[in-house]
Amino acid sequence: MTVSTIENRDDLIRYLEAALALEHATLPPYLTAYYSIRSTTNSDAAHIIRVAAVEEMLHLTLVANVLNAVGGRPDLTRPGFVPSYPAYLPDGEDDFTVDLRPFSPEAVETFCKIERPGKAPSADERLLSAPADRAPLLVSSPTAEGMRFYSIGEFYEEITEGLEKVAADDPALFRGDPARQVGPEYFYSGGGTMIVVTDLDSARRALQFIAAQGEGLDSGIYDAEGELAHYYRFRQLQLGRYYQEGDEPGTPTGPPLSISWDDVHNVKVSAKLADYPPGSELARVAREFNADYGALLALLTQAFDGRPALLQDAVCDMFRLRDGFNRLICNPLPGHDGLHAAPTFEIEPAAGSDQPAARDAGEPTRAVTP
Amino acid sequence: MYEKFPEGAAQRTDPAVAADDLYDAVIVGGGISGALIAARLSQAGRRVLILEAGPAEDLTLRGYEDYLNRFYEAISKDNQAPYPALPNAPMPRGTDVRPIVPGAPDASAYLVQNGPFATDTTYTRVLGGTTMHWEGKTLRMLPEDFRMRSLYGEGADWPLSYDDLAPYYSEAEREIGVSADVEDQAYLGITFDDDYVFPMKGLPLSYLDRTVAKDIDGMEVELDGVQRRLRVRPFPQGRNGIANPDYDGGKGYVPQGAVSAYQVEVGERCQGNNNCVPICPVQAKYNAGKTLAVALRTGRVDLVGQAVAHKVHIDERTRRVTEIEYRRYDRPDSPGFTTMRARGRLFVLAANAVENPRLMLASGLRGSSGLMGRNFMDHAYLLAWGLLPEPAGTFRGTVCTGGIADLRGGRFRSRQAAFTIDIHNDGWGWARGAPMTDLISLVDSGSRYGASLRQGLVDRVSRQLQLAFMVEVPADPSNRITVSPDFIDALGNMRPVLTYDIPEYTMRGVAYARQLSKRIFARLGAEDHTAYNPNFWGYAVHDGEGYEIRGGNHLAGTHVMGRDRTTSVVDADQRCWDYGNLYMVGGGSMPTVGTSNVTLTIAALCLRSARAMLARLDSETAPVNVTSNRRDAAPTSGKAAW
Repeated sequence: MTVSTIENRDDLIRYLEAALALEHATLPPYLTAYYSIRSTTNSDAAHIIRVAAVEEMLHLTLVANVLNAVGGRPDLTRPGFVPSYPAYLPDGEDDFTVDLRPFSPEAVETFCKIERPGKAPSADERLLSAPADRAPLLVSSPTAEGMRFYSIGEFYEEITEGLEKVAADDPALFRGDPARQVGPEYFYSGGGTMIVVTDLDSARRALQFIAAQGEGLDSGIYDAEGELAHYYRFRQLQLGRYYQEGDEPGTPTGPPLSISWDDVHNVKVSAKLADYPPGSELARVAREFNADYGALLALLTQAFDGRPALLQDAVCDMFRLRDGFNRLICNPLPGHDGLHAAPTFEIEPAAGSDQPAARDAGEPTRAVTP
Repeated sequence: MYEKFPEGAAQRTDPAVAADDLYDAVIVGGGISGALIAARLSQAGRRVLILEAGPAEDLTLRGYEDYLNRFYEAISKDNQAPYPALPNAPMPRGTDVRPIVPGAPDASAYLVQNGPFATDTTYTRVLGGTTMHWEGKTLRMLPEDFRMRSLYGEGADWPLSYDDLAPYYSEAEREIGVSADVEDQAYLGITFDDDYVFPMKGLPLSYLDRTVAKDIDGMEVELDGVQRRLRVRPFPQGRNGIANPDYDGGKGYVPQGAVSAYQVEVGERCQGNNNCVPICPVQAKYNAGKTLAVALRTGRVDLVGQAVAHKVHIDERTRRVTEIEYRRYDRPDSPGFTTMRARGRLFVLAANAVENPRLMLASGLRGSSGLMGRNFMDHAYLLAWGLLPEPAGTFRGTVCTGGIADLRGGRFRSRQAAFTIDIHNDGWGWARGAPMTDLISLVDSGSRYGASLRQGLVDRVSRQLQLAFMVEVPADPSNRITVSPDFIDALGNMRPVLTYDIPEYTMRGVAYARQLSKRIFARLGAEDHTAYNPNFWGYAVHDGEGYEIRGGNHLAGTHVMGRDRTTSVVDADQRCWDYGNLYMVGGGSMPTVGTSNVTLTIAALCLRSARAMLARLDSETAPVNVTSNRRDAAPTSGKAAW
């Protein structure tokens, strides 16, 4: 192992902020694939993607709990929090980009890469040099310039080790107000449960849970609770069968699952507002979606900033996202050869900022291109 | 957690092989009663065969969603909309009901209605039974409901008290997964153990409930000289909420989500969808498939589907059941069948309060008390509907989250029936088909479309208030299920014939309910739109006033339990007085229905009976001392007749 890149609490907070962005960055691609599936079709695929998305929300909240526990302030509204797609993952993995795709073999391939088991071949290879010709906007190591992680699992290993180190040096590390923690009563409909973080032990458990649920780090395809890791959930879509207890990673032996790749709204990959006809109703709906999404992130930020009960309200907003998706995804995007519209996730600065909130239909936003 | 259904379990049993087996118990019916008993017996090491009239396929999320999609596509959203019609194992459907011409039974649908009162009562014949479509309300009965004859001279006494059943209520609440708070549910004598909490915290009252509560809480009602204050109270619900960390002495509770043969993560919490009846979109609502999965995972439960029990065979000398003859249809859509048999040490009829006596009567077994099929009960529902002065968020939340329970018990029950009042979050859905009827009228009569149509619909339905008075019906031997060779189904099984009238006692409660609804509407400032149509199939007149009465699908009373074999069909263990190894379980055993939906009580009774069955199996399979007196050899509890 090279020298730790986390020396103190500030480093730790920067890493946890990167983790927050990382967990969120998977949601738009998962949700786009999920909602592109035509209703009443592809039950197997829809549920597998849905579970992964719901559990990413759990991970997001767990990271927020750790961040709050060490006295940080989670902010889902800061500029750049939502990446511009296609995007590299915020932990710096650079051999693939993440697009907003309809449900398709390419999308599943990407999901498997996102969740891939990531034990680096040796401790020295956890942190690698990032190539120089890459867009610089996405964080890799937030503290060691030009470095990136082998996998999400290694990224969390780095944080966990850093956490232990900082906690050993700083007895008052867990100084956050316990009232800011999100408790188990707010989370459901996925595997795993919320962990309230108040000390090193609970922080470690939260971080290890995230890594294990994504990719089954060290614990095989099922975790201790008998829950299948995300990577293997997605592999089922490639292998055509469900896993069951006792299976080897390459050969699931459970019931077959059925996939109909054609029962999908073929949305434009990583659509931008610029793709929408200016002044069209479709463009207006796409902008409304982004505004609603921005408002949801602002609400979540408030919830993570000492008002966890607001998560109840956020549930209603999430149901509204579903309606927003459906309004776009069912419609062809004019001038794009029959490809359908989809949310662009180009998020305006949060309300209350100095930036102008409304823009003309179809006009490109300030979003950076990768 | 999801409930793992063992892959292949629904198909792995060869009926021909099973026919040569001697099971510890043969259970007719894969609903909540059969599932609970199968689970308990198999967990104790016993081998069980379940015969299910509906097709038996592995329960998977995909299969469940077939039900869901059928419901979405159906024009009629009635209780059976999600479930395919089965000519070989037909089920009554609410849409079947017609007014009955006196003297001419209505045989147009599976349930033959002899009248004079017509009812739309239904049950569902699929794996999981009627819990597939049930609403999920899980009220305990009141202590006084068990002593109606002694206390009020009406109905019957149970051979059990509330205290006898209380531990099984708790167990049933765990099995079903009930969300409620003790402080809301301890009233009118209902008691809980000191440290008891429900598995999950109570679900919140809807905005509509809270709107009604603002004006109704504290409203005074005088009945039989006793002053009462009404209160809008949350109902206990068999649907998943926030697990209570204090449950089970601090061990907590893990909500059971959807049942499936492969790993899924859905249904761990109610999402507030509005179509609990006829099907929860996410399986946050309990269905008996969850318990069947538990039972099948033991490996000691065999399941044969497409198996309609045809005849219970008796050995007249030993007064025991020897086998159940069933007709196994080859395909759901054709009448070809094979006659099969099932043999066991015990036999458990767990169909329901219509199908249980139907099977017995079709087998020529009327019972020595003559009460087989008699004392049919259901709840009589009276609806009252009005428009609130302000939008109240109707159609938000599950079908029903709260209501008024203060008139469930009291001295007035010596004169008139008690009731529970439901506040329906689905507006005038039950009474007048909202919101579809509102939509049609806005389009047809209002020529609305687009945004104006959407807004118009919101304006109309969001002020709707429908109160549903669930009025008790006492046992009356004349209300009964019979069979007749004149009426048979596609498989040659005799169909149930229902003879039913609403007792005067119930109608006095109905009339009082209507008066009370007027007072409630007045207090709320609501426009009363209630109007009862004389051409309605369930129109009933009392004291010159007519009412629309609907069925509650809370079937009960057709093989009532009692202390005395001359006045009941089964004993307190739900064991038949006439046949020592036959249990008839479910609502049919209940001597009163009180004012609670029956499923929780059915579950509690079955959990209690499962213990009795295990004790009986233990004693029957213990080494027998051969003596000249058979009675001495059988280690019975002393109640046995054999």
